[in-house]
Amino acid sequence: MRRSVVVVGAGPAGMAAAIEAAARGCEVTVLDESARPGGQIYRQADPRLSGTEFAEPTELSRKKRLLRRFDEILHAIHYRANTIAYAAFGNGEIHVQVGDRTEVLKPDAVVLATGMRERAIPFPGWTLPGVMFAGGAQAILKAQRTSPGRIAVVAGCGPLPIVVASQLTRAGTRVAALASLRSPLAILRSPAGMWHGRDIMREGLRYGRSLLRASVPRLTGYIPIRALGKERLEGVQMARVDEQGHALPGTTREIACDLLAINYGFIANSELAAMAGARIRHDPDGGFWLPETDDEGRTSLPWLFAAGDTAGLRGALVAESEGAIVGAAAASAVRTVATSDALTEAIAARRRYSRFARVVRQTLVVPVALWRTATDDTVVCRCENVLLSELRSALENGHHSLNAIKRNARPGMGWCGGRMCLHSVAVLAELHAGVAPGKMMTPRPMARPVPFAALAQQKRAVEP
Amino acid sequence: MTAVTTDVLVVGAGFFGLSSAWWMKQRRSGARIMVVDGGEFASGASGRNGAGFRMQWGLDLNILLSKESTAFFENASELLDYPRGIELKQDGYLVLAHSQNALDRLNASIAIQHRYQVPSELLDAEACMKMVPALNRERLVGGTYCAKDGTASPFRLLDALLIASRREQVEVRYGTRVERIEKRNGVFTASTKDGPIEANQVLLCTDWAVPQLLHPLGVELPVTSLPKEAIVTVPCTPRVKPILISLEHHISVNQLARGSIVFVPTRAREGSTIESTPGFLSWAAPKIIDLLPGVAEVAVLRTWGCVSSVTPDMQPILGETEIQGLYVAVSAYRGFMTCPAVGRMMASLVMDGVTDPVLAQLSPGRFKAGKTTIEPLLNQE
Repeated sequence: MRRSVVVVGAGPAGMAAAIEAAARGCEVTVLDESARPGGQIYRQADPRLSGTEFAEPTELSRKKRLLRRFDEILHAIHYRANTIAYAAFGNGEIHVQVGDRTEVLKPDAVVLATGMRERAIPFPGWTLPGVMFAGGAQAILKAQRTSPGRIAVVAGCGPLPIVVASQLTRAGTRVAALASLRSPLAILRSPAGMWHGRDIMREGLRYGRSLLRASVPRLTGYIPIRALGKERLEGVQMARVDEQGHALPGTTREIACDLLAINYGFIANSELAAMAGARIRHDPDGGFWLPETDDEGRTSLPWLFAAGDTAGLRGALVAESEGAIVGAAAASAVRTVATSDALTEAIAARRRYSRFARVVRQTLVVPVALWRTATDDTVVCRCENVLLSELRSALENGHHSLNAIKRNARPGMGWCGGRMCLHSVAVLAELHAGVAPGKMMTPRPMARPVPFAALAQQKRAVEP
Repeated sequence: MTAVTTDVLVVGAGFFGLSSAWWMKQRRSGARIMVVDGGEFASGASGRNGAGFRMQWGLDLNILLSKESTAFFENASELLDYPRGIELKQDGYLVLAHSQNALDRLNASIAIQHRYQVPSELLDAEACMKMVPALNRERLVGGTYCAKDGTASPFRLLDALLIASRREQVEVRYGTRVERIEKRNGVFTASTKDGPIEANQVLLCTDWAVPQLLHPLGVELPVTSLPKEAIVTVPCTPRVKPILISLEHHISVNQLARGSIVFVPTRAREGSTIESTPGFLSWAAPKIIDLLPGVAEVAVLRTWGCVSSVTPDMQPILGETEIQGLYVAVSAYRGFMTCPAVGRMMASLVMDGVTDPVLAQLSPGRFKAGKTTIEPLLNQE
């Protein structure tokens, strides 16, 4: 019987891991919650949609190349779209939902390539309809080839706001301002790192040029401090911040818009790793809570591997090369006869792009003072409608761990299970009570809600 | 390390521990009361239960404990000066029977309940269906209903007790686990990693873990543990107005004020783990759908683990041990719903040496004396 590897996620890391594990003779299953492979970064539109993509041709050709390589191995693997991994257990079981049924998989090895989500920073008005993640706005551009707003303000830090502002203008949206926490030119201070990402830099420059052509006003050193509007977004109040991220008095200005797209970096989707019991480390700007991994993606559990941004934020190019390395490591972990095909290309690519990722990472460092824009009546946890004042009273009563704060004030008890707010709760605890974020909240099933009917219809895969 | 001294040391800051401490201060405001807990806020069974309270029991003493506690819940905000409220919802409690035997037990119990003016009533299967259309009509024989039973937020109630106790100068310390208790020259010494605590009297409220502290003192109590797992769904439209328990399914169902439904199914297991187990949901889901087909499409949001205490007669153990000045309060999984009454009774026993008639029946000594009675309306095997 062939040894089995389950890959969770069909983004760049997952696709590359599947390609490599399949090439080494493993029985590979790829689970992905979307209808088509690609993940967030290489998200594909519904094939019935016509029209053009808004991304740069070089990015599109990378996307096409990897999707084609994945397509070539589809006949040799089990690719399962619309399949949601909702729980992982220490005994190696992965529980998945497929439509109105659930299944239990128990492969020899699991590669988590579940990517990341955007990092939200609560500020007054941030829950108004019309305030979105920049990546969320981009997902609409990619999947539906239409823009989510007519007049937009794009804000945040790092490269994504620049890309999204540019793609919005291409989609016909008027971008009233592109605000960034710090100058994108700061990246020029690391010429060596830039050199390693020169092709990506060229793409960035082209996006920048299209913003210049569209005369998009730039606000460097500005952040949104209040979203304005009653029922939905009508405008945004921006303020200048100092080096430490404190809003400077007398610098506020209001801009009318119906879309506020923000990106303040990313949080790794590490819930399944934590639920399975893998050791977790804390890295505030690199994905917050991450499974501890070695160079080949091994976690503290012998059967569990992590690749790409799940193991630490480094972007799509690192994810693709690392996916190959980790896919090969998972294959050799489960096979009795080790094949040692050279991975020199992937190793070199990862090294090169990691240097560039370190430069980009500096642009994603967010000072904790940004969480000071939240006022007592700002919602911190939107599922349970927990206000900052309630969080502060829990802290004042001496509840300092995330578990204790959760039980006392309910952040993280709602629909999203804390994916949206827990990192903020940790930062706010540090800011308002001087306690270190410390341990992640105890991760419990489910990673995603699943109906009783589907849980009652559970199939157990034949154990190898 | 120099010892901290106190008049009364309460071990365990769950419902029994905090309620007893608060009541002790009501009896004697000058007494020094200290509560220590090895975990953090609501990290034990008090933060992990099904959140229901009911007066529908088959034994007098359980009815009395619940009746007094229900009256307290109804006025908890004022009594504990807690303006946030405890999210009290009195939409009743429906105890379901799926066999003639179960219905007979309900019938016998309701007569006792009426003796204590509990407003419970017997319903036929049609009336149960009318009250909860999401139920499965098949095999349903009938049930009893009490409109005054209900639910509240365990987190809020515990927070209210904590804040009220601290306001009365009770010292509550989390993260302080008592490793060992000794008694020398009439004084108890509790060892913790932060140093010893000396007390004249000690009340153990660590529930299923009580034997671990008693055993080295030569006191044996027949308390074991039962691991349970609970399920909470995403918020959904109201479909289970009263709380439900089914004597045959061994499941309790409680739709909270915020719309989520909490299910606590019980199965025979051993140990004291609070880990979620891989086979739990696929075991529980068909039972839940069999009881309540109307929730089949509702999505499970999260599961969590809990350990409840088990006693030979499944009654609480409340009272003084054979060591003078050393008391225990073991809940038998009813800590939430009985804590106001139990706290008051324990406080009068510890502070004034007065034994309430209810406590007299629940003393630690009853097992040796062979005086035990089984509660007929239990929701577990």
